[in-house]
Amino acid sequence: MDQLGMALALLGAVLAALLAGIGSAIGVGMAGQAAAGVVTEDPGKFSKLLILQLLPGTQGIYGFLIAFLTLSQIGVIGGGSVEVSVTKGMLYLLACLPIAFVGLWSAIRQAKAAVSCIGLIAKRPDQLGKAIILPAMVETYAILALLVSILAVFGITPLAL
Amino acid sequence: MAIVQMQRIRVCGLRRQRKHILELLQRRGVVEIDEPDREEEGFESVDMSSQRSALEKELRLAQEALQLLQEAVPEKKPLLSPLAGRKQLTEQELIDFRAQSAKTVALAKRVLAAAREREEVRTALIRLETEEEALAPWAALDVPLRSRGTRTTAVFAGTLPGSWTQAALEGRAEPLPISAEIVSEGQDLTCVFVVCLKKDREETERFLRSLGFAAPAAAGKTPPSERRKAIAQERAALGEREEKAKAELEALAEQRGELQLLADSLTMRIEKYHMIDRLQQTKHTFLLAGYVPAAAGPELARELEENGAAAELSAPSADDDVPVLLKNNKFTEPVEGVLESYSMPGKGEIDPTPVMAVFYYVLFGMMLSDAAYGLIMVIACGLCLLKFKNMEPGMRKSLRMFFFCGISTTFWGFLYGSFFGDVVSAFSKTFLGQEVVLAPLWFAPVDDPMRMLLFSMLVGIIQIFTGLALCAYQLLRQKRVKDAVYDVAFWYLLVGGLIFALLSSDMFAQIADMDKLPAVFGTVGGACAAVGAVGILLTGGRESRSPVKRLLKGAYALYNVTGYLGDILSYSRLLALGLATGVIAEVINSMAVMIGGGVVGFIAFLLIFLVGHTVNIGINLLGAYVHTNRLQFVEFFGKFYSGDGRKFTPFADHTKYFKIREEK
Repeated sequence: MDQLGMALALLGAVLAALLAGIGSAIGVGMAGQAAAGVVTEDPGKFSKLLILQLLPGTQGIYGFLIAFLTLSQIGVIGGGSVEVSVTKGMLYLLACLPIAFVGLWSAIRQAKAAVSCIGLIAKRPDQLGKAIILPAMVETYAILALLVSILAVFGITPLAL
Repeated sequence: MAIVQMQRIRVCGLRRQRKHILELLQRRGVVEIDEPDREEEGFESVDMSSQRSALEKELRLAQEALQLLQEAVPEKKPLLSPLAGRKQLTEQELIDFRAQSAKTVALAKRVLAAAREREEVRTALIRLETEEEALAPWAALDVPLRSRGTRTTAVFAGTLPGSWTQAALEGRAEPLPISAEIVSEGQDLTCVFVVCLKKDREETERFLRSLGFAAPAAAGKTPPSERRKAIAQERAALGEREEKAKAELEALAEQRGELQLLADSLTMRIEKYHMIDRLQQTKHTFLLAGYVPAAAGPELARELEENGAAAELSAPSADDDVPVLLKNNKFTEPVEGVLESYSMPGKGEIDPTPVMAVFYYVLFGMMLSDAAYGLIMVIACGLCLLKFKNMEPGMRKSLRMFFFCGISTTFWGFLYGSFFGDVVSAFSKTFLGQEVVLAPLWFAPVDDPMRMLLFSMLVGIIQIFTGLALCAYQLLRQKRVKDAVYDVAFWYLLVGGLIFALLSSDMFAQIADMDKLPAVFGTVGGACAAVGAVGILLTGGRESRSPVKRLLKGAYALYNVTGYLGDILSYSRLLALGLATGVIAEVINSMAVMIGGGVVGFIAFLLIFLVGHTVNIGINLLGAYVHTNRLQFVEFFGKFYSGDGRKFTPFADHTKYFKIREEK
């Protein structure tokens, strides 16, 4: 039982990397398929489309970020054994959930917006600025989730529980 | 602030000088000619579409030739060539070129012919190859496949399914007297040559059919062995032709520049013909109207008059749809592109570029926030700007924008103590055995995220209030003092009052771990907020006549205070993205030093460091760019800017490959 806290915290870190990563993988994949279709018609648009394809990729990085932070806070990486109580482990798990779930969902939703904007670029290549902004709106929520997760992970560490 | 003053210009000239005057206008590139909207009495518009389509045809020819050359002999371009800009050309060179452009048209035709020749040869080669493949099993046969036999014999050449020997086939045919020869044996097919007496012909055919006999795919009058020799010769000849066509294309590729010039010259002429459509003409004169920047107007009018046309300048009237041209200094001009990708300022609006530029650089720096990344941007953009003097203006603007963003990033990076994340301490600890820490000049956001969050929101409040101030400025400029009070002053009172009330509350002090403001601020703030709220409630729906509706609309306007809350909270992305850059950089560094010290460790460190930070710069540069834009477009512009203006698109040389240099 004394390792349960550690296991819970680890579960949180894993979920953050796992779900947000899955979301981004799906998202970047969807956008990549759409972009490939446009590139067959006009290879010159590749660099513009690459930016759009990358947009849903950030959630995976945010998830990875939270996972890494959690792992270093509980001493799995970076050395130094830290005692993680069950309560604290549970808290870490909860702290990881915002970026895990919002990352998963927002990456897919953002990818849908990105796919539509790839269609936009196919017809109006001069409208790149607008095409980037529309999917980026979705990312706001992933950023807010990241913020909550970061603040929570940092906030838990000094607690004496 | 920096919207260029426009003037109406009307030019009247003699029809025989039309070409000359239009070319002058095109070279100067400062006049936007109106779309013809009204047919004035006595004027006619001339339809130049047939001349234009002839030019368009030539342009397509030139473009096709260029495309074919690009496929056959790809142009070698250095990596940074997009930065180099178009090649320069003097007016005289263009005139000389036009005098003999027929030669270049012939050149384009030669390219097309060579490409067609090459295509034909390739098709022929493929056909021969297929034939040769079909003939391969019959290589040993010295009788034509199509031969019917002699005076007394009949012959059959064809394939039988399965594997056969001579004896088996002859035995199977008993009592029919045939002589079979196995020409070759494939995997599931046997090529046979059967001879029989002429009188047995039909019976033999029936017999062979029953075994699944099929005539060969390749039938010819010449024996296969000879035909194969002929094919080899034909192929050699075709190969020579292909080589020749290829050499021709390669030689023609040397003259690619001529074709590009032809394409450009035609593009310019086509645009000129488009403009002729817009003129109003009589039998001997023409009239054009348009907009010209006020600064360039008098000079242009003088020049036009020197060239025998009459020009008249006037101030645009209130209901003219005046196009917008921006003019800013070197520091603020780079973000014009960002503004353009949103929209140009509309009537009565100011050019927000100068104010936006300051915020843009600051916010970008806060998001990327790494001194080393910033320095890389500064050096890369600075070098490109120095090296490529002939860069296109749009590209130059973007690079300048990233140059200034880089400076800001470096500044914030040092404030936050981030240089490739924490590479200084990670490296020194692992390889030098002694930890050297690059201390932040201000504070490290990772250590005190709450402080950073509050600071981000403060920046947000400053930008939003600046946006409101610009809104007031615009309203006051139009002498709408009441609107300025209702739409701006009340909001200042409400939002500002609420902020002060919040700052002096216990709850806030607890969350932010800061001393709260004295209670008097809370009281005054609360009072201000109340005044603002009542004001908005009463005036928010002032355009409605019915009092009930007005109050309801006012209540709805007041509800917009949640919008302000959301806008301010939105600036928390400054913290999130800033942290993301720093923390990912630290993650890369800690992975890089995982192997430990020593030579192997150092090599691993270098590899992981280079790859990791390259990726991190790329991702966060994109993130910072996108989200800085967003903060400008949504949070900042939302307060004062609708941007329904039209961009000034003058009649000029819109060429692709060459830039015509002015000679003065």
